[in-house]
Amino acid sequence: MYEAVHAHPGGETTVARHAATAARYGYEGLVVRTRAALAVDDENAGDEQTNRRRDPTALADEYGIDVVDAVEVDADDPSQAAGTVGAARSTRTAVCVVGGDDRRNRFAVEDPRVDVLVRPTAGGGGFNHVLAKAARDNGVRVEFDLGPVLRASGGDRVRALADLRKLREIVTYYDAPHVVSANPSSHLELRAPRELVAVAAEAGFDPEWVREGLREWGVVAARNRERLSGDFIQPGVRRGRYETER
Amino acid sequence: MKHLPKHLRPRWRYLGVGIETWPDAVVGRRGFQRALWYSAGNLLGDTGSADAGLRLLSFSYAGGTGEAVVRVRRGHTAAARAAIACVSEVDGDPVGLYVRGISGTVRACEERYMGRAAASTTQRDVAFGDAERTAVVREDAYDLRTESGHVGAAAFDIE
Repeated sequence: MYEAVHAHPGGETTVARHAATAARYGYEGLVVRTRAALAVDDENAGDEQTNRRRDPTALADEYGIDVVDAVEVDADDPSQAAGTVGAARSTRTAVCVVGGDDRRNRFAVEDPRVDVLVRPTAGGGGFNHVLAKAARDNGVRVEFDLGPVLRASGGDRVRALADLRKLREIVTYYDAPHVVSANPSSHLELRAPRELVAVAAEAGFDPEWVREGLREWGVVAARNRERLSGDFIQPGVRRGRYETER
Repeated sequence: MKHLPKHLRPRWRYLGVGIETWPDAVVGRRGFQRALWYSAGNLLGDTGSADAGLRLLSFSYAGGTGEAVVRVRRGHTAAARAAIACVSEVDGDPVGLYVRGISGTVRACEERYMGRAAASTTQRDVAFGDAERTAVVREDAYDLRTESGHVGAAAFDIE
């Protein structure tokens, strides 16, 4: 199972500390949403030592947990977001688009280059059957953000729970793909997978469905790594030896 | 009062919980128990909270880490786990909680999941980013203090 975190400088905890904590909690992988937290290709490149500290493979070797370089695209208008998505697609393993209002949600689910629509209902964004169908057709995962359930209280938490329930009803009806995360921005906000499943079960989710959502990050990473590898031509077509077995 | 015959006594489960905070936080036994009940009351409601119980049996905390044994009624461990996960801060200090495991007796719980008390912490000046910072070091963990607040780092970021 994977968790998608905000790391320093976007969060309070560095990728290494997140990785150490997540490995202890029993996660198999860590998706880093913060663009500046990892050095990939020439992006964020510094001196050699800094690069090693920000290298996903070095971090994965050190802590025994898969580290996925992702990016969260948070743009005000869709045309700007489309440009950023296009640029990030060829360098980053996972591309997430931050939702939160109707236009952004709509842009994210209608672009097949996007992997995940994150926080679709934060800030009063709506989600409906049209978006769910588009998400299913374009293979865009809809994120279920358990962060407010874990950390907010009172009215905010009630609204977050109500939004989650509505989103769940729509997404499961149209069988759109989903991911689950607690959106932690420090190692203290990180919770173990069993804890997340328990909380979601109290909120009315099916436990297996939640585990599936936590695993889906790994599916996204595996699929995109294959696509970014040099041997990939298009789905079903790859460079290399012909198949000897059928 | 005469105590209950064995088949009428409540059955308990004991949760070993690991606690982590920033190094300058102060988490007390009473504060932690209050946070547990508050969280259970909010998430599970009064009835669910009464069912689960969530009584703190033992608690130790020093220098940014701690551990606790929480007593829960048998059959309500999933709800208790959820309530524990929803404790995000104690007296205003953010806490990270992790259920290490569940046992049927206090003794088994303590033997298996307790006693990983923190190694001692030391304070050191380290280079992080492009500045010199004071860090509280506990094994692999480096907790730094910057202008904008705390930063949690690891040995990998420093050395």
